[in-house]
Amino acid sequence: MSAPELQDVQGLVARGYGSLNAARFLLLGIDDPAAARAWLGGLTVTAADARPNGRAVHVALTSAGLRRLGLDEAVVGLFSNEFADGMTAEHRSRNLGDIAENAPQHWDWGGPRTPEVHAALLLYARDEPALGALVGEHEAGVRPGLRILASLETADFDRREPFGFADGISQPIIEGLSKKGPPETTLRFGEFVLGYPNEYGRYTDQPLLDARPELARNGTYLVFRQLRQDVTGFWRFLDEVTRHPDGSSDARRRDRLAAKMVGRWPSGAPLALAPDGDDPERATANDFAYFHDDPYGARCPIGAHIRRTNPRDSLDPKPGTGKSWAINRRHRILRRGREYGDELLTADRAVSGDAPEHERGLHFICLNGNIARQFEFVNDTWLNSPKFAGLYNDADPLVAPSSPHGGTFTVQSDTIRERVNGVPRFVSVKGGAYFFLPAIGALRYLARLGG
Amino acid sequence: MPHQVALTLVAPVRTGEVESLKTLLESMGDGVANGSVVDFAALDGVHFARFIVLDEARDLRDEPLPASLLYMVDLDLPREQHLGQLVDLAGDGLDRLFGHCEDYPERPTREQRLDYLRRHRVREQAFYVNTVGRTRRQIRGEAELHDKLEDFIDSADGLRHKDPRTVRRAVCDHVEGDPSLRWALHPPEGLDLGFRLRELAHLVGVALLTLVLLPLLLVAAPIFLVLLRRHERRDQAPHVKPPPELVQELAALEDQLVQNPFSALGFVKPGLFRRMTLTVVLFAIDYVTRHVFNRGNLAGVKTIHFARWVFLDGKRRVIFASNYDGSLESYMDDFIDKIAWGLNIVFSNGYGYPRARWLIADGCRDELAFKDYLRLHQVPTRVWYSAYGQLSAANIRNNERIRAGLKRELTDDWLRAL
Repeated sequence: MSAPELQDVQGLVARGYGSLNAARFLLLGIDDPAAARAWLGGLTVTAADARPNGRAVHVALTSAGLRRLGLDEAVVGLFSNEFADGMTAEHRSRNLGDIAENAPQHWDWGGPRTPEVHAALLLYARDEPALGALVGEHEAGVRPGLRILASLETADFDRREPFGFADGISQPIIEGLSKKGPPETTLRFGEFVLGYPNEYGRYTDQPLLDARPELARNGTYLVFRQLRQDVTGFWRFLDEVTRHPDGSSDARRRDRLAAKMVGRWPSGAPLALAPDGDDPERATANDFAYFHDDPYGARCPIGAHIRRTNPRDSLDPKPGTGKSWAINRRHRILRRGREYGDELLTADRAVSGDAPEHERGLHFICLNGNIARQFEFVNDTWLNSPKFAGLYNDADPLVAPSSPHGGTFTVQSDTIRERVNGVPRFVSVKGGAYFFLPAIGALRYLARLGG
Repeated sequence: MPHQVALTLVAPVRTGEVESLKTLLESMGDGVANGSVVDFAALDGVHFARFIVLDEARDLRDEPLPASLLYMVDLDLPREQHLGQLVDLAGDGLDRLFGHCEDYPERPTREQRLDYLRRHRVREQAFYVNTVGRTRRQIRGEAELHDKLEDFIDSADGLRHKDPRTVRRAVCDHVEGDPSLRWALHPPEGLDLGFRLRELAHLVGVALLTLVLLPLLLVAAPIFLVLLRRHERRDQAPHVKPPPELVQELAALEDQLVQNPFSALGFVKPGLFRRMTLTVVLFAIDYVTRHVFNRGNLAGVKTIHFARWVFLDGKRRVIFASNYDGSLESYMDDFIDKIAWGLNIVFSNGYGYPRARWLIADGCRDELAFKDYLRLHQVPTRVWYSAYGQLSAANIRNNERIRAGLKRELTDDWLRAL
């Protein structure tokens, strides 16, 4: 592979900015294309080869945004179908589970009843005061002709997601970036950045223009979904179904069932390695495989969230082999999300009834070179499908939109399984859009369109 | 017990009537049949069925091909019996549908209808059945058994803490004690002896014939390979993106049940060489699906319930139709990841397919070109019936295992199946 042109790739591909604890995401609408182009041309965007100097700035555009900037429809059509159509196309909503209460018409942003989103400005800083300054600068930089449609705040829960579990542990290792890993879990650069060979040894389709720089090379697709998490609902449901025969709460069983649903304990320790209880020493352990360590789900249930999002070596037709890993590698995403909400609730507090009813959740962001084969596939075939890996009615217990009568969650064991019935929906979609995260050179090209 | 058969009817549509026929199909379903015009659920032994319309087209020599109406069904019954039921229970519906077609009688009698349908039957070149001999009745019965046993296990307090033998005893006692489940203690009917003998004769006969012809085949092989490579280098393989409107129309019909239908139509590459190659390949595929891949696994893909390949228009075109679990994206990925060679060996004889090497290499490994090729050749399946739309092939296989295990030695596998 030719060396990745990191100076041209936006830095979000290379890092999630773990050291920049504060972030804000501005969603923008474009009224005046010329003003938007001038704004775009004036942005200083952080490149992947630069160490973030206390702050980072990224910008992504929807297909509607590219059109609005003046990009020819024929060129927009050369991007992937998913991106050109957008997240809210009707058949896509069915696949993504964006139906009933989750349907785009109820969304706070990105849906048909809210103003069209054209761009996202992602701002990162070391702490809240520094972020405040950065946001201030950028708000001032938004000229007439551009509108801020939403300013999405994020929260720092010390790397825990709102249900209280460590998150972001298992990320794909990408060839050409600094970290090295074993071949089973190391992905080609082209899985995440256009213009390089992907896991099939091919170049993912992209618009190729005579203009230099190429429009899509060194860019990638960014999926953004605002997911509200019903934290009190989650813990109260678990509390309800794990009570002692006398009706009192059984916190140990409750917390164990939650861990079974997640596939990791709150510290992050994976059940596949720590089946009996949380083990902070294994908090970041990621070197395990299901077929070898836990083929039937006695430790980590088949339907557990992390087993579905990353089945590792357990996929047909030959579980436990390199072939199974190879299939798994074609369906990975690079997660860059941030939590939001006022405070992290403990399970006990969530159950207690005096928990404040603030909205909490995840600004889910992921990067991928092929939305259909990566984000959408994982979402549909692995998370939302109640039939995953031979199951019957078990959609993802944490994040899937349940069937109207509630799904089931099966906890396999060495003897006969335990089954939790009537699992309600704990996560709802509040907004979302497919963006393109262009290369830095391509941003300059877009800024000069029509000029 | 009956074995499964495919039935395919193809009738040319009268000029100018395609639109009204499509409107009629639209009234019959939005991707899943709604039971109007033809009530598939009332017909015996139907696993899957579909009506599709092929638009008028011009072949590769620019000769016109008429629009046609296709009916495809996967059955537990002999074809004659199904046609009889169709005529008896859906005669009016048939008149409305085939009334758009050439030569359909004005006010047909029962016999005239039957005769029309028989005359428009087209033979399948190859047919895949997930599990030969497993009837619709068995599939539905075993699904009910599974659901009831799961509910029983949920309700039987403390069963989880018992040893496997006790669990098994309790489950068997429950089955025995429930008159609606007692049938499950008997094994499913086996395949007819006659059918098994015929299959055996076919298995051996074709193998022997191949053996006899082997010297000839060995002589022909190098010539074939030289010709093949020459064709493969010369054939055009343009990467054409399907129009977004087509993708939207197709996708809007999909993902309503656990399974989806897939129908795709393509031209055979021009010339005798490709036509003969494809004829032999489909014959070979039919042979291995009949005799090798007949127990739930099509060379690594376990999510296909039924599939067929049918020549149309004097072998100028082929239609491929299948019923599979999950989304089209996962189906296409399965093709590429698991049976790329099997796809290439057939479809690389099709016009516009990504370039293959030695008939089995490359081809669909060009992921996006292949996915675009499939979408571009897909035909909307507006009227589609599934007799068990909430069961995956894995569920069906597991249910069968649960029932079989009631009468066998206790194993860990059986406990895990519950």
